[in-house]
Amino acid sequence: MTYHTLLFALVTGLAVAAVMARSLLLSVLMLALVSVGASLILFNFQAPWAAVFELSVCAGLITALFIGAVTLVNPVRDKAPQAPDGSHERPISNGVKREDPADGESRMRFYAMPLVMAIAAIAAWFYAVPFFESLESWARFSSRSSTLGSIIWDLRRFDLLGQLSLLAAGVFALSSIFPGRKTQK
Amino acid sequence: MINDAGLLAYQLIPLFTAVLIPFAARRKPGFSAILANAALLAGLINIGYALLKPANLAASFANIKEDGFSLLMIFTIYLVALCVTFFSAWFMEDRPNRAAYYCLILTSVSAMCGIVTTGDFFTLYIFVEALAITSFALIASDDSAAGLEGALKYFLLTCPASLFILFGIAFLMLTAGTFSFENIKVLIASGVPAGAVVFAVSLILLGFLIKSGVVPFHAWTPDACQGAPAPVSAYLAAIVTKISGVYAVIRIAIMLRLFEIKSYHTSELLMFLGMLSIIVGALAALKAKEFKRMLAFSSISQTGYIVLAAGIGTPLAILGAVFHLVNHAVFNTVLFLNSASLEKAAGAGEMRRLAGLEHAMPWTSWTSLIAFLSMAGIPPLAGFWSKLIIILALWDGGAEVYAVLALLFSAVTLAGLLATQKKIFFGKATEACANVREARPALLAPVVAMSVLIIALGVFFPYIYSYLIETIAARLIL
Repeated sequence: MTYHTLLFALVTGLAVAAVMARSLLLSVLMLALVSVGASLILFNFQAPWAAVFELSVCAGLITALFIGAVTLVNPVRDKAPQAPDGSHERPISNGVKREDPADGESRMRFYAMPLVMAIAAIAAWFYAVPFFESLESWARFSSRSSTLGSIIWDLRRFDLLGQLSLLAAGVFALSSIFPGRKTQK
Repeated sequence: MINDAGLLAYQLIPLFTAVLIPFAARRKPGFSAILANAALLAGLINIGYALLKPANLAASFANIKEDGFSLLMIFTIYLVALCVTFFSAWFMEDRPNRAAYYCLILTSVSAMCGIVTTGDFFTLYIFVEALAITSFALIASDDSAAGLEGALKYFLLTCPASLFILFGIAFLMLTAGTFSFENIKVLIASGVPAGAVVFAVSLILLGFLIKSGVVPFHAWTPDACQGAPAPVSAYLAAIVTKISGVYAVIRIAIMLRLFEIKSYHTSELLMFLGMLSIIVGALAALKAKEFKRMLAFSSISQTGYIVLAAGIGTPLAILGAVFHLVNHAVFNTVLFLNSASLEKAAGAGEMRRLAGLEHAMPWTSWTSLIAFLSMAGIPPLAGFWSKLIIILALWDGGAEVYAVLALLFSAVTLAGLLATQKKIFFGKATEACANVREARPALLAPVVAMSVLIIALGVFFPYIYSYLIETIAARLIL
C-alpha cells in the first residue's frame, strides 16, 4: 500500500468520523482534517494549485466560519442541563429545548454505520483493487526528489503564508464582529 | 544584508503579533495597543533603514529580490498603520473589543505586505482576499447602521471584483500557462502574446479597478469611509484601497507596456476612467455635506490622478503615479485623523455644524491646511511635485487634453478644499463649537509628524526625485 492509498483510507475514516460525531464542533474539526487530507492527496498527485485551493478555502476559511457559526448557534452546549430521567436536553439557538432521541436509538447509528460501511467495503473489494491500481498509475512520481515539504515551502511558500493570513483574518473578523459571549450574558 | 527572508519578516512579524495579542492582552486590554504599536514601530524603523542604507542604494536594491517599489510601499504601509494604531490607542480607550481591532489591523498589514512583495497573480489574489476580509470586519466594527451599510456595500461591490480577478487568473493559466509577473512581462515585451493573454490581464485589471474605487465603481468608498470608525476610515482611505487596488493597477500598467502602440485600447480606457474619477470626485466633493464624505470623494479624485498616470504608462508617468500614491497616503492620513479629532471634539461630522474652530483647535486647523494644500498641488508641498510630474508626463506622452483637464480640475479641487477649510476652521464659531478644545497631544502627534513629512518631501524633492529614478524607474520599467 502506498502513501496515497493510506491517505485515502485516512480521509475516509475522518469523513465517517465527521458524520458520526455528536458534537458539532468535533464534526467541523473532522471536516477540516478531511480537507487537509484531500489537499495532501492532491499534492501527491502533482496538482499543487488545486491542493492550495482546497487547503486555503476549505480547511482554512470555511472551517473558521463553521467554528464561528457553531459557537454562535450553540453557546451553552457544555452546560446543558441534565434532565432527571437521564436523557440529555440540548438548547437550540432560539431557546427552544429539544429532547435527544432515546439513548438506545442514538447509539444505533454507531453500530449500524460501520456495519454498513464494512459491508460496502467488502462488496467493493473486487472493484477497489483495480481502482487503487489505476490510482497508482495516475500518481506520477516524476519528481520523486521533491518532497511535500519542499513543494510547500520552496514553491508555494507565499500561498502558505496567504492561507495563514486568510485563516487569521477569518478568525479575527469573527471575533471582532461577534464579540465575546461573556459580555452578552 | 537584507534578503528575501528579510522581506518576509515584514509580513510575518505583524501576523505573529496578531496571533499573540489575544493571549498576551487577555487580562489587560490596554496591552494590545502597546504590542501593536511596538511591532509596527520596529518594522518602520527597520524598513526605513533598509530604504536608506548606502549599500542597498548603491546597488539600487539589486541585492534583494523585490524592487524599490515594493520597499517603498512597505514603508508607506507601516507608516500609515503606525499612525493609525498610535491614534487609536488614545482615541479608542474605552472601546470594548479592542484586542480584536488591533489584531485585524496587524493582519491587514501583513496581508498588504504580502500583496506588495509577491511576484505572481495567484498569491496576489489570496492576499487581496485576506485584506478584503479584514477590511470588511474593520468597517463593520462600528455597530451603527451606517457602518453595516458601508461594510455590506464594500462586500457586495468587491465580490464581483474578486470574480473578475479569479476569471482573469484562470484565463491566464489557460493561455499563458504562468502567473508570474516576470514571465508575463517577458511574454508581452517579446510581442508574442495572443489577444487572450491581454484579455486575461485586462480582466484582472478590471477587478483591481473596482477594488480601487475608480469612478464607475466608486459607490462603496464614501459609505465605507463615513460608516467606519474614524481611525478605520483613515486606514481604509489612505492605504487599504490603494494597496488592494491602485498598487496592482500600476503593476499591471508596467507589465502591459501601455506606452507602446500595441496596447493603446487598454491605455485609453485607463486614462479615461482616471480622468472621469478626477472630475466626478472633485465635483462630488464640492457638494458633500459631511466632512468624511467630502474627504472620501477627494480621495477618489486623487486616485484618478494615479490611474491616469498609470494609463499613459511612460516611465516618468509611472514615477509620478508611485510618488502620488505615497503622497496620497500621507495627506489622507492627516485629513482623516483630523476629521476623527473634529468629530470627537465637536461631536458632529456634518460641515454645517462645524465653524470657526481655528482658535480652539489651531494644530488641527493648520495641519489640515497643509494636507489640503498638498492634495490640491500647491508648491512647495509634496503633492505639487507628484501632480507636476503626472501632468508633464501626460503632455510629454501626447495626451495634451488630459493634461489641461487634470490641471483645471486641480484648481477645482483647490477651490473646494479651501472652501471647506474656511467653512470649518475660519469664520465665526457656531454654538456647537463654542466650547471645543484642542485634541490631546497624543492624538496630534501622528498628524503633526505626517504634516512635517509632507513639507519635507516637498522641500527635499530633488533628492527624492533622483532616489525614485535610481531605485524604481531604472529597475522597474527599463
